[in-house]
Amino acid sequence: MSMKMLEVGCPMPGFDARAKVTGEEKYAADQSREDTLWAGAKRAGIAHGIIRGIDTSAARALPGVYAILTRKDITGTNRQGIVHKDQPVLAGGKVRHCGDPVALVLAEDRDILKNALSLIRVDFEPLPGVFDPEKALAPEAPRVHETRNLLQKAVISTGNAMESFNECDIVVEDSFVASGQEHAFLETENGLAWREPDGKIVMIVSTQAPFRDRFEIAHALGLEVDAIRVISPYLRGGFGGKDGSTVQCLLALAALHAGGRPVKMWWEREESFIAGYKRHPVKMQYRLGAMRDGTLHALQCSLFYDTGPYAHLGVEVMALGMEHAGGPYRIPNTFIEGWCVYTNNPISGAMRGFGVCQVAFGIERMMDLLASKLGISRLDIRLKNALLRGDRNCAGVVLVHSTGIVPCLETLGRHNLWMESSKWKGAAGPFKRRGVGIAAVFNAMGYGRGIPDSAIAKVELTREGKIRVYSGVPDMGQGNASAFVQFAGEILCQNASRMELILPDTNRTHPSGSSSAGRTTYTYGNALILACKELKEKLLHRTALMLMLDEARGLTLLPGKVKHLPSGREVPLDLIGRTFPETDRIVVNQFVMPVAQDNVNTGKEFKIGFPHVLFSYAAHLAYVEVDELTGKIDVKGYLAVTEGGRIINPLGFEQQVHGAVAQGIGYGLMEEVLLDEGRILNPNFTNYILPTSLDIPEIATVSVEMVESTGPFGMKGIGEVGTNGPLPAIAGAVEDAVGRRLNRSPLTAESILCAM
Amino acid sequence: MREIILPGSLDELWRCFEGKPQAAVYAGGTDLLVGLYNGLLNPEALICLDRIEELQGVGERGESIRIGSCTTHAQLLDDPLIKSHLPVLWQAIRGIGSPLVRNMGTIGGNICTASPAGDTLPPLYTLKAEVELRSKEESRRMAIEDFIAGPGATRLQPAEILTGVWVQKPGEYNLHHFEKVGLRNALACSVVSMAALLRLALNGVVEKATLAWGSAGPTIVTCPEAEKKLIGEPLSMALLQEAAALVRKAVCPISDVRADADYRRIVAGNLLLRLGNVLK
Amino acid sequence: MRISFYLNGKETHVDVPPGRKFVDVLREDLGLTGTKECCGAGECGACTILVDGQARLSCLMAAAQLQGRRVTTIEGLAADGSLHPVQEAFIEYGAVQCGFCTPGVVLAAVHLLDRNPDPTREQIREGLSGNLCRCSGYVKIVDAVEAAARKMQGGTPQ
Repeated sequence: MSMKMLEVGCPMPGFDARAKVTGEEKYAADQSREDTLWAGAKRAGIAHGIIRGIDTSAARALPGVYAILTRKDITGTNRQGIVHKDQPVLAGGKVRHCGDPVALVLAEDRDILKNALSLIRVDFEPLPGVFDPEKALAPEAPRVHETRNLLQKAVISTGNAMESFNECDIVVEDSFVASGQEHAFLETENGLAWREPDGKIVMIVSTQAPFRDRFEIAHALGLEVDAIRVISPYLRGGFGGKDGSTVQCLLALAALHAGGRPVKMWWEREESFIAGYKRHPVKMQYRLGAMRDGTLHALQCSLFYDTGPYAHLGVEVMALGMEHAGGPYRIPNTFIEGWCVYTNNPISGAMRGFGVCQVAFGIERMMDLLASKLGISRLDIRLKNALLRGDRNCAGVVLVHSTGIVPCLETLGRHNLWMESSKWKGAAGPFKRRGVGIAAVFNAMGYGRGIPDSAIAKVELTREGKIRVYSGVPDMGQGNASAFVQFAGEILCQNASRMELILPDTNRTHPSGSSSAGRTTYTYGNALILACKELKEKLLHRTALMLMLDEARGLTLLPGKVKHLPSGREVPLDLIGRTFPETDRIVVNQFVMPVAQDNVNTGKEFKIGFPHVLFSYAAHLAYVEVDELTGKIDVKGYLAVTEGGRIINPLGFEQQVHGAVAQGIGYGLMEEVLLDEGRILNPNFTNYILPTSLDIPEIATVSVEMVESTGPFGMKGIGEVGTNGPLPAIAGAVEDAVGRRLNRSPLTAESILCAM
Repeated sequence: MREIILPGSLDELWRCFEGKPQAAVYAGGTDLLVGLYNGLLNPEALICLDRIEELQGVGERGESIRIGSCTTHAQLLDDPLIKSHLPVLWQAIRGIGSPLVRNMGTIGGNICTASPAGDTLPPLYTLKAEVELRSKEESRRMAIEDFIAGPGATRLQPAEILTGVWVQKPGEYNLHHFEKVGLRNALACSVVSMAALLRLALNGVVEKATLAWGSAGPTIVTCPEAEKKLIGEPLSMALLQEAAALVRKAVCPISDVRADADYRRIVAGNLLLRLGNVLK
Repeated sequence: MRISFYLNGKETHVDVPPGRKFVDVLREDLGLTGTKECCGAGECGACTILVDGQARLSCLMAAAQLQGRRVTTIEGLAADGSLHPVQEAFIEYGAVQCGFCTPGVVLAAVHLLDRNPDPTREQIREGLSGNLCRCSGYVKIVDAVEAAARKMQGGTPQ
């Protein structure tokens, strides 16, 4: 372990990196116990239908099948969900998408499990399904639930949009379709659970929200919340797809019926596609009005979010999308309408860029359209309208916190890649056409109004004199765990060898919200800073007593000890650890993220999740080459200029930007969940195309550092904003290269060739 | 329990087949084991050929080159004979799957899987390859276009294996070209591909042309009309356009999750235009 | 069936069905969970191991095929507790995020550098093109392999 000091602002390898690089780190699916049963769900296989009967007799007769459970084995509501509890744990009456589970099998091993699942026969009365959100709104459309298919309609408006279009010198209109996206985390959904002798359920699971999971499980299965313990090791990728119960309710149900034996559930790739959550497909209609000099004046848009058969976080995704629909620009008059609609497509839920990824495509392409009609450069029109601190954004919120979109765009404009773009374009080889595109993007942090975005941090001086941080919020690879260690090390002046980290465990750590919304390092970090400062004070004061000093002055923490500078006397931390009882060596503190104070008087349909007041910003530039013979698009270079307050760990910052851009490039060019009447045609990595190392270019990352005064050491979360740039930047570059606008994602070779 | 046998020689192999003529044969396993482990295939026994040394390696016999069927793609990429004499095949192998797949997959496997998207196939068709088939009793050779009977189907008999591929060194050609179109730059199943061997005279006249397309029909598609159109004329974009139009008539692609038939048809013709690079 | 092979330098025997997927043998029968599985089709590279020094997909190998072979998994890379230069570079250059692809990429990189001790960035990308990473965008992975190559050749880090 390094003896280097942990200092905020310095590049720091991950605290967990060594264990990951040697294969020692055990994540949830690596966990095993003696005598484990395997659990698996029988999935509907049809998009919409009534269950007439389930025949499990052949499966039950198979040797090695321990139990088969159906709806009737569930006491409790049989309803899971994060906000809206509308998703059955096991479908009883009807199925609403191909992945709906109708039976749960427990078996001695995976082969028997697979065999048993194939032997279960479900007798369905198929129902007509609905697969398009606009069609689903028609009064005669088949109903996914008892109520109509509209989950939520909402409006965000400021000023006087409809009238103000008359005041504009130019009005442009266009429509866009943004596709869904699969998280495609390499570690699929999985967990291991068992029932203790005292009846408590213990679960080790790959989850972004261990504390909330207990509530979902308890509500669905009729259990007490505190009779469920959830342990969340490092996730191997989450990106939003492990926010909300995936395996948890099914696994808990299995554990209840396993006779005390541990049960493991691990979705294979195909099941992860069929049953897991996805990014919302969105249909968008945009109308943007401006003055002759490029000043934006009016925005109207209609957004249709296909949320699949269950809400998951659909309303919140739509709310965030609507809040960002006008881009990071000053637009005094906005009228943004959204419809979040049930369909029989796969379930849409949370995914990195949470509703924003899609509208960024819309507004940024509208800005390009406006620029071309007005003869203003694409960079200048964005600079002209970009928000400044103190402006009011398109949702009506005054930006009282750090707002760095202007310096991001200015930095882009001064970068070599922008300045040399014409030269690069001119050097296109035979049958190749080159173009560049830019995008200005932003992404809110945190939960917004309506629920506290909170964390409770706990830090301890152990008996052995180590500093132990109890993280309440999972690390899915974004590196928040390392950041927490870095914060504690910075404040308490310790190096990594003196630090310990406890990963989230509902028995040992404290509720700190979900690993999502770009909030974890900010919110938990702030709570941890408070706790560490308090611990520091306590340690100095206790040392003063140990040294019989009549006042606690001149004392400082150093690696492994406290030193009294005037006298030179030192007290090792492990001595302090042995001197004081545990209750005196622990500090617990909380933090709640600040919320918008404006009374925006719009978006009132959103009880939670709107509006936000803290945002991160970025300006992106894509170099793209199109092949005239095949239509194939290659991203040859990329620049991301990001403003996320102060940088805690430059390595971590770059990691997040690179990863977000790569997912955005996948979303823009090659990833699409192909559906045929609700059935996924490509539920595998052979035909769901993820970018390889030959598909992602070198990504130049530049940071614009500002101080976010409310952030821990001045930082903001930047995990999501990078995902929003690539699709619009690439689309802009394609238009620059071939003179055609593509309004549907992904931008495939086929669509280009047809357009050329 | 499913049996897996790894014979160390051809004699051992013939003994394996006795009593198990329906055993599934593989070498690298990059196609067969995917099907097996996903429950799509259920053979009673498997025979793995990767221990039989005489099935591996590349050798020169005068103007012929013989490639052992169990030579991996990675081995072929490293082989100086392939690199220098069969560049059209070398270019195609470079794009197969990924380095990991190429370390395991074999040319024999690529041929016997007989996917219309098999990347070694268009080059082997242009090279007029012959497959060498052996069973305990018999050894025979067959033109590759006769060996491949349809998508996923070959003329392999029970208890018979592909032991090698024979090609004549294409010394008379001076332009060896392969291109594959995929949905990404690695791990991509060809959406459409083309192999081309041309001889251009110093004055630019096409003296010889042999062409073949992959993923453009149930098996590899050749287009003698396009070849005839090119031969005897100075190579030009206009000439290539005319030939491309003939190609688009000759191919019969399908629509699937990867691409539409129309796209494949248009691009199959367009790939021929790439040969115009030599003019620029 | 009893299968004998060399695992991380040690002679090892397992009694498993001959057709058992080798990644399952490693993870479940031998308790070596460093090798991961993720796609079941050879499309992601997470199950990469070295067989006789060559990077191969353990999800597409039957146990019987490993008879007599020399297998190296990620657990066997660090000799006597000190990390391989590729592993060290991955840590130093921030090439590890969620860590799932890491064992596979590291072994693929070890094989790559074995064949080509001084690869260009493009050659590194090509050499690792069978290993999917969903977190990193590959940039820092390429940085790390480049640095490891320099170190292994005795060069000074830049």
